[in-house]
Amino acid sequence: MSKEENTANRPDNTAFTQQRLPAWQPMLSAGIVIPGFVIIGVAFIGIGVALFVTSQNIQVLEKDYTGIETNSSCFKCTNPRVKNCNCTINFSLDKLFEGPVFVYYGLSNYFQNYRKYGASKDAAQLTGDLAYFTEPSTSCVPYQRDAKDKPIVPCGSIANSMFNDTFKLFQIVNSGNVAVPLDGKGIAWWTDYNIKYRNPTTNPLKNAFNDTVKPIFWPRPAYELDTTNAANNGFINQDFLVWMRRSALPNFRKLYRRITEGEYAKGLPAGDYALVIGYNYPVKAFDGRKKVVFSNVSWMGGKNQFLGIAYLVIGSLCVVMSIVMLIVYAKFKFPDEE
Amino acid sequence: MAIGDNTKADLELTWEVRANCRQRYARGRRRSFLCFRWGQYADNTVRSYKYSLLTFLPLTLFEQFHRVANIYYLLIVVMQAIPAIASLRWYTNAIPLILVLTVRGLKDLATDLARRKSDSQINSRASDVLDSTSFCTVQWKDLCVGDVVRIHKDQPVPADLLLLCSSEEYSLCYVETADIDGETNLKYKQALSITHNELTSEPSEKSLADFDGVVWCEHPNNRLYAFRGHLRWHGEDHVLNNDHILLRGTVLRNTQVAYGLMIYAGADTKILRSCGKLRVKSTHVDRLLNKMVIGIFAFVLLTSLLMAVGHGAFESQVSRFIPALSALTVNGDPVYSAFLTFWSYIIVLNPLIPMALYISFDVIHVLHSLFINWDREMRWEKKDSPARARNTSLNEQLGQVGHLLSDKTGTLTQNHLLFRQCCIAGRVYGDASISVEETQQMDLSWNPFASGQLSMWAPELVQLLRARQCPIVSEFFTALALCHTVMPEQSKGALLYKASSPDEEALVGAARDLGWVFHSRRRDNLTLLELGVTREYQLLATLEFTSQRRRMSILVRDPEGGLKLYCKGADMVILERLQAGCPCLESTERALESFAQTCLRTLCVAVRCVPEELWECWSKVLTDAATMATGERDAVLEALHGDMESQLLLLGATAIEDRLQEGVPETIALLREAGLKIWVLTGDKTETAVNIGYFSKLLDPDTCLLGGQELREVLRSADPGYSASSSRQGNAWCVNMKTARAKTALVISGPELAEFVQEPGMGAKLIGLAAQCQSVLCCRVTPGQKADIVTLIRKYSSSITMAIGDGANDVNMIKTAHIGVGIAGVEGGQAVQNADFSLAQFRFLQRLLLVHGRWSYRRITFFVLFFIHKTCNFALVNIWFGFFNGFSAQSMYENWFIAMYTSLYTSIPIQLYAFFEQDVSAESSLKSPGLYRPGPLNRLFNPLTIAAMLAQTLFSSLVLFFIPYGVFHDSPLDYQTLAVTVSMADIFCVDAELLLLTRHWTVFNAVFLCIAFGFFFIVTRITQQPRLFQLAPADYFFVGVSENAFANPLVWLTALLAGVTAALPALFVFVFNVLLSRPDTHRVHSLAGPRPVELRSKVRRIDSGRRPSGVASRVSSKGAAPASGGPHPHPHHPRGLPLLGDRPTVDGSGIELNVPFIGRKLLPAIGKKPDHD
Repeated sequence: MSKEENTANRPDNTAFTQQRLPAWQPMLSAGIVIPGFVIIGVAFIGIGVALFVTSQNIQVLEKDYTGIETNSSCFKCTNPRVKNCNCTINFSLDKLFEGPVFVYYGLSNYFQNYRKYGASKDAAQLTGDLAYFTEPSTSCVPYQRDAKDKPIVPCGSIANSMFNDTFKLFQIVNSGNVAVPLDGKGIAWWTDYNIKYRNPTTNPLKNAFNDTVKPIFWPRPAYELDTTNAANNGFINQDFLVWMRRSALPNFRKLYRRITEGEYAKGLPAGDYALVIGYNYPVKAFDGRKKVVFSNVSWMGGKNQFLGIAYLVIGSLCVVMSIVMLIVYAKFKFPDEE
Repeated sequence: MAIGDNTKADLELTWEVRANCRQRYARGRRRSFLCFRWGQYADNTVRSYKYSLLTFLPLTLFEQFHRVANIYYLLIVVMQAIPAIASLRWYTNAIPLILVLTVRGLKDLATDLARRKSDSQINSRASDVLDSTSFCTVQWKDLCVGDVVRIHKDQPVPADLLLLCSSEEYSLCYVETADIDGETNLKYKQALSITHNELTSEPSEKSLADFDGVVWCEHPNNRLYAFRGHLRWHGEDHVLNNDHILLRGTVLRNTQVAYGLMIYAGADTKILRSCGKLRVKSTHVDRLLNKMVIGIFAFVLLTSLLMAVGHGAFESQVSRFIPALSALTVNGDPVYSAFLTFWSYIIVLNPLIPMALYISFDVIHVLHSLFINWDREMRWEKKDSPARARNTSLNEQLGQVGHLLSDKTGTLTQNHLLFRQCCIAGRVYGDASISVEETQQMDLSWNPFASGQLSMWAPELVQLLRARQCPIVSEFFTALALCHTVMPEQSKGALLYKASSPDEEALVGAARDLGWVFHSRRRDNLTLLELGVTREYQLLATLEFTSQRRRMSILVRDPEGGLKLYCKGADMVILERLQAGCPCLESTERALESFAQTCLRTLCVAVRCVPEELWECWSKVLTDAATMATGERDAVLEALHGDMESQLLLLGATAIEDRLQEGVPETIALLREAGLKIWVLTGDKTETAVNIGYFSKLLDPDTCLLGGQELREVLRSADPGYSASSSRQGNAWCVNMKTARAKTALVISGPELAEFVQEPGMGAKLIGLAAQCQSVLCCRVTPGQKADIVTLIRKYSSSITMAIGDGANDVNMIKTAHIGVGIAGVEGGQAVQNADFSLAQFRFLQRLLLVHGRWSYRRITFFVLFFIHKTCNFALVNIWFGFFNGFSAQSMYENWFIAMYTSLYTSIPIQLYAFFEQDVSAESSLKSPGLYRPGPLNRLFNPLTIAAMLAQTLFSSLVLFFIPYGVFHDSPLDYQTLAVTVSMADIFCVDAELLLLTRHWTVFNAVFLCIAFGFFFIVTRITQQPRLFQLAPADYFFVGVSENAFANPLVWLTALLAGVTAALPALFVFVFNVLLSRPDTHRVHSLAGPRPVELRSKVRRIDSGRRPSGVASRVSSKGAAPASGGPHPHPHHPRGLPLLGDRPTVDGSGIELNVPFIGRKLLPAIGKKPDHD
């Protein structure tokens, strides 16, 4: 029988068909695995230490101003009937609070990550498309139109519930108040400011809002959000942008201002300070808390103890496990090896 | 196509076929549109394809939506269109669904195109059809009922035909039915004498064109061996039966031309009616997987319900105080809101249902099957026949086989029979102890018909024959040359024999080589060339072979006018029919003993001179019997045959060698080491089976056999385990039950088996006992019993059964077993047709099971577990997140991430794992058969491993959520950054686990893992591009998130920690595996091959044909062992070798139950057997 005629059914002799693809088969032994485990553990501990130390070096000052306690200065403002209420919180620093200092406001028990809340806006309207000024998306219901059937701009619950407490910081120098300049520029994301939210090109901006009404909870319409800076109005108002970026969890902070100007650029010197709060935002009904946070930042952002500790714990766990493995290995394997 | 609809109309003869009436049938063609059908007669086209251009899309969609998972996904997609509950965008689930439907549809389309191609090949075959006055050639598809068709020699029959006439005498014609029943011998059909007489006139075209008979017969059915009808012609009715019908699928042989009338065409033909659908077999993994998916589905429903309740509580307790949220409560009703949230959560948790798993599963199975088809080491060079996986859904089950049930003849043996020895008048000629290769060729040049393939060395026999000195020797070979049903075929001057059994072929061939040439067969005439002298024998009667009779006879009138009955059959049957005082009986019996020991198949040959009066009387009764009712006639015939086949004169015995296939002993030894229980089921005698058992390593030299009465006692006793020891208490080596059992083999005969199967409770005991034993031999079993055994094992043990066989008699068994394997061997294709896998040789089984099976099992189980793990730990995070967002069905992820996660980011690497993974190489798997053991025990995929996997999943998902939670709590980072962080952690976790899982890194694995990993970052960046946002703000609202998140070290560190911590359990398991399994892997990898070398040497010993001495040594030690059954004489072989066991004395039942050597123990001292090497 000749070979040629007998090969019609012979499968191809390729590495793939014969399952002989060149392959690397790591030959692992205790000698590799246990040290490998130790290395992972040590690396994690290293990261953990770095994070922890960094985090420790960050100064944080938190001031709860909800006004739950009757003796606190903001207690008077918790009464919903009181309008335009101001309260002052005094604090003193005994050493320099290094700059740049970031000022946050914090809310707790506030579910910005609630699904229907997150959906309650009109993305197209917020890009400045005038068509959606007159016809806001139904996703904004019940903040789509007001009682007179006028379209609400910006519509939806997120915009409507925008945080509207205001903060002013004064250093008390020789019983006189020196205002600490708070910088509200560039606190929102570049993409939010330039892409996701755009004002209509109408000039002046006010005209774009003809035949619309302001969100029900807002004291002023969108084009008058910042009375001091005409460019910081409409949908690209920095505070508005920060608010519209929904929080991840019910307890959150949002960046309010940075202290970057003048003599305070290097930080807040030791001394007494007064924080004057324009108290407008009600949280008492749902047991929420409001606070102001002063913090400086590092390469990893604000203070974050958790991550450093977590790294330390997991790293230690790896090291401990590698010791356990060593024991297991010694106990069960060495007799066999010999 | 309905199968066997035996309605009343079927049985009545209402199917009318008019000859030469083409117009009528062409018009009456059956057509169908959707489910409507009209017209009675099918055309002669086969259509096995399903789709046309128009119907492909609707049909494939219809079929695919039969799968519950697909329907479910579709419902989810529809639900996502409802704004009130749409927690995700429509494409998150639509993209995976469309992907799955497309892949599946393309796969179906490809198979359908292949079917279409093979259909059109068949449909365009040419056939001659009578067109008014002359024959013209048309394609098969253009034939229709009522046509008169001409078939030439070696052409396939295009449809079911009524044979009208043929070129041969009496309009006989021969057909080969290999495609129908796998038998390669020729069968003859004969036309009615009326059509023969009227239509054979020359030229036949004229008379055929004038033929205007009408056939009335049954409606088309699937009964291949029955036909009822009559032909009405010239006002007379002629009864038709199966002998007049040529079936589609048969091939015309030995006949120049045959003419037939088409009765059933195309889909109506019996062969097409009887090819049922392949039974869908599902694997263990399949079933468990389905249960798991149902479990997951229930979990989704339950969780959604709980989350909805939580949402209701949140709405009524918490959110109503938050003005921004309370306004959003639909209708201000928390209950309604909760109801909607239930559906929203079903959408959010939908990725838990692993729909893509099924399609990946299919693809993996197909590739694994291709690997089997492609494996060059499972291709038999000699016949150029590669292995074939015919069923592509059973691969992983190949790694789980616990019971292997094997046929003997043709499966373990070659079924290539060689005439090795014979005993004539008590004298033995030839020596089977010399192997075939070493046997000298005798000089047979004086015989022009000698094939030169006789492997027997007996010059003294040739001398006797040529000298015509010994009439009994001549008579012996005359008997061999006459008593058979072989058809001779002249081709290129050589004489070929077509036989239904290879035994007959070997016998007739041997007679030919020795000068007694069977030359031709006519209906009542057999021609022999005895040493060149032509002698014609008139054939008077053939008493056919049946498995009950176990003998056949032929009654002839020799040229001298004497009546002779030649009979051949199983020794037991013939010996009891001899005339009293037959000479050489004792020496022939001794010869038979020695033949059986050397594993030769034996037959006895006898003759009877029949007195003329007896024949006359006998033939008269026979003619009378023909008119009797069936049942009565059978009894009369049996008695008649018995009368004739008595008073025989013993001529001698033949010994045929059926050699073991190459590599059978190693394969069996290897499979036994791999923990498989091997059962050999054979129709052979117990002795032959036991001997084959020893040679094929099924039994060790020191195995004790348990059978007959002893087995029955053991089984009848209350606790089989116990009393076996008491019944063998004398045997010192059976002290330890466990080890004794491991060295015991059961020998069960067919009748005993029937008894055990019927007796309640016995089956369980038998299987229980067999499980402890080394192996089981079942002898003299019928095809039906083979299947019964499989059923018994399936019923009483949880293990996976694999049946392997080669012949039509194994089909039942092959179909019943979990996995059926067909040996594509000598006996036609029926076993293969019904099998799930086909192999050319038994030895390829080791590769199929130990390499392909083991790999498939590991790959697929790990794949399934990992796949579900990865989808679950990704989706479960949504639940934990729910606790912190008021159970509002807020998704943890970006829509695009969900859509891409299963399809793009994680699917390909794990799929490649399932393609390429090899924990140990093929060589190591074969060297260490113990590695196979976890499969049959189902160690890798059982409720325990699933529970462990789910626990790991739970842990991972908790870590994946709570580590980012810790970081994001009370921080200025927003929700979208959290989403990207958790996604990233997911990817880290899955890829880390893949790194740990994969032990065999091909380039593809590495590259695609990197690609998939890179894809996550690239696609995430792309979908968060400003440009896309400007196009569709609602779909790409994550604009700019990754830009900020990827630049934030905190996000990276969080994702890294969460991903690695989530993968820690996998890491621990991995490391402990390395630590604890190290000695094993060490052994696997460092195995030098001492054992295989030893095996090979043993095999060479067997193949080199020194068997008898091996047997002798084994037997001699055995002879020394105490016989439990009392003293038995040990007749001695002429060569002076003691024999294996004692032949049972002939007993009238023909069924020997108590084989004395069974139950005896062979001494372990057998190690002293002579060393040949």
